Parts: sequence; structure tokens; C-alpha cells
Amino acid sequence: MQRFRADGFDEFVAARWSALLHVARLLTGGDRQRAEDLVQESLVKLWFAWPKVAEQAPEAYVRQVLVRLAARSARRRWWGERPVGELPDRAGPGDVSAAVAERSRLEAALALLTPRQRAAVVLRYYEDLPEGQVAQALGCPVGTARSHASRGVARLREILSDSARPVK
Amino acid sequence: MDDFEHELTRMMREDRAHTPYGPGHRARLYEGIRVRRRTRVLVRAGGSALAVAGLSVGLALLPHLGSGSAPADLPLPATGSTAPPHSGEPTATVSGTAEPSTSLPPTGSTESHTPGGSPSGTTEPATTAPGSADSGSVSPQTTGTETSAPAYEGTPTYPPPSG
Repeated sequence: MQRFRADGFDEFVAARWSALLHVARLLTGGDRQRAEDLVQESLVKLWFAWPKVAEQAPEAYVRQVLVRLAARSARRRWWGERPVGELPDRAGPGDVSAAVAERSRLEAALALLTPRQRAAVVLRYYEDLPEGQVAQALGCPVGTARSHASRGVARLREILSDSARPVK
Repeated sequence: MDDFEHELTRMMREDRAHTPYGPGHRARLYEGIRVRRRTRVLVRAGGSALAVAGLSVGLALLPHLGSGSAPADLPLPATGSTAPPHSGEPTATVSGTAEPSTSLPPTGSTESHTPGGSPSGTTEPATTAPGSADSGSVSPQTTGTETSAPAYEGTPTYPPPSG
């Protein structure tokens, strides 16, 4: 029964894990731990819905769950983080390549958007979804989704152009 | 799409590093599924237990509610002053003919005869019926007043008093 229920689930997860993790990371503004938690939670939800959605569009389902969980988790004030006495090892200045720096810049800029703006921008520009599907994933009218996306892009434009400005 | 939007798309897609789905991830995922399933079962069991508890409390309170309403109606027979309900069977037919016309309206109308209408001669059957078990008509005033005079109005259960 269980095996029948999970038929194809493992394959789907293995195939989409990396992409989902990347989307989750963009949705959380670069927070890797939170991104993993979100992917895990949305896949757990997918598992329970698998018999129903497996034949249809599991990717769309899990994306929608991911976006909503990300928006909900952004409203939480506490992430279960506890202060520690010593900081863990971090990459030194010499390790920072241009790509990593750019990614950090992008993630930091995304983190400054509201959760819904961030989701709209990620779905529209990273996932390349049409506005209708973005609206469906966000659970709002198309006009609202369009507005979120355009405001998000405008804000990113502002932030990234500021951060790209050379320091004197 | 303007230049910035193209650049934004490129930046988002460029750093997509492949993260393999390892056995650790799988174990963690299935552990999450197990926990969620257990939680669901517990929630479902808790919900059923709550429903059963609610039903049993409701059933336990029901007799009290029934007995609580009975005393309110019991005093009424006393005002009828005709006969006790159980012993009144033989006299029922007798008193049903004449007395009710006088005694019913005062007692019945105070409580619940109003819907059934107060005409004395005609309401007798209506009031007697709810006594149901006993075919007497003394109880009519008692039991008929308490519950369902309107419902029984059209269905007299005992033969009309022949005088």
C-alpha cells in the first residue's frame, strides 16, 4: 500500500530536489537552512497528496506549497535559532569569487523585498511562469500578482544599482 | 523585458549549483513524513475522542433536561382537580364530556393551549391525545397541556364522548 502510494515519488524528488532547493533559497533571500526546511516541509505535504497529484502536476503543486510556506515562514518572528558563544567557521575573504559575491548581492537584495514581492519576482523571472500561474501560486488575482512583481523589480533595481555604485 | 530584467533573470539562474539528493536528505524526508503521519493519526484520534466525550456528556445531560421540564408541567394537573392521571381512566370519559369544557380553558390556556385554540368542547381530544398511553381524558388536561396540543388537535384518539 505504502509502496503503491509512493510510486514515483522518490524519482520525482530526486529529479527536482536541486531545483526546488534553489527556488526555496531565492524565496528565503538566501537562507540555506530555511530553504531546506521549506523544501522538506513542502515535499512532506506532497507525499500525502501524491496519489491525487502524481498524474497531474506535482511540480506546480509543490511550487505552490513552497511559495505559501515561504510567505508564512517570513511572518514568523522566531526561527528556532539560539545564540552561541562562538561563531562557526566562515569563508574567508580570499574564498569569495565574483560569482559568490554576485549571488550574495542578489540574495541580500531579495531579502529586502516583502515575501509576496519576492515570490512574484522569483516565479516570474526565475521560473519564467506566465502571470496567471504566478497569481495562482500566490493565491491572488492576476493584477495583484503583476503589481507585486513590478514593485519587486523596481525595488531590486533600486537596491542593486545602489550596491553596484562604486565606493569612494 | 528591459536590460535590468534580463540581467536579473541571468543572475537568478546563473548560480544554480546542483545539489544532489542524498540518502541523508531522503532519510530526513521520510522521518518528516512519519512524524506528520503520526501527528495526523493523533489529531484524528483526539478529534474522535472529543466527539465521543461531547456526545456522552450530551446524552448524560439529556435526561436531566427532560426531568427539568417535567416538573414545570406537573403542577398543572393539580389545578385540574379532577383526578390523578392513573386512576382517572374510568372517570376520564365522564369528565371528558362535561368538565373539560369548564376546567380545561383555565388550566390549559395558561400554559400551552393557546396554539390549539381554546374552544372547550373541541379541544378535548386535542389535549387528551398526548397522554397517549392512557386513553383516559383526565390526563388530557395534564399531559395535553404539556407537550403537543397542536399536533394532536386533528387526531382524537378516543371516541368522542357521547354524553
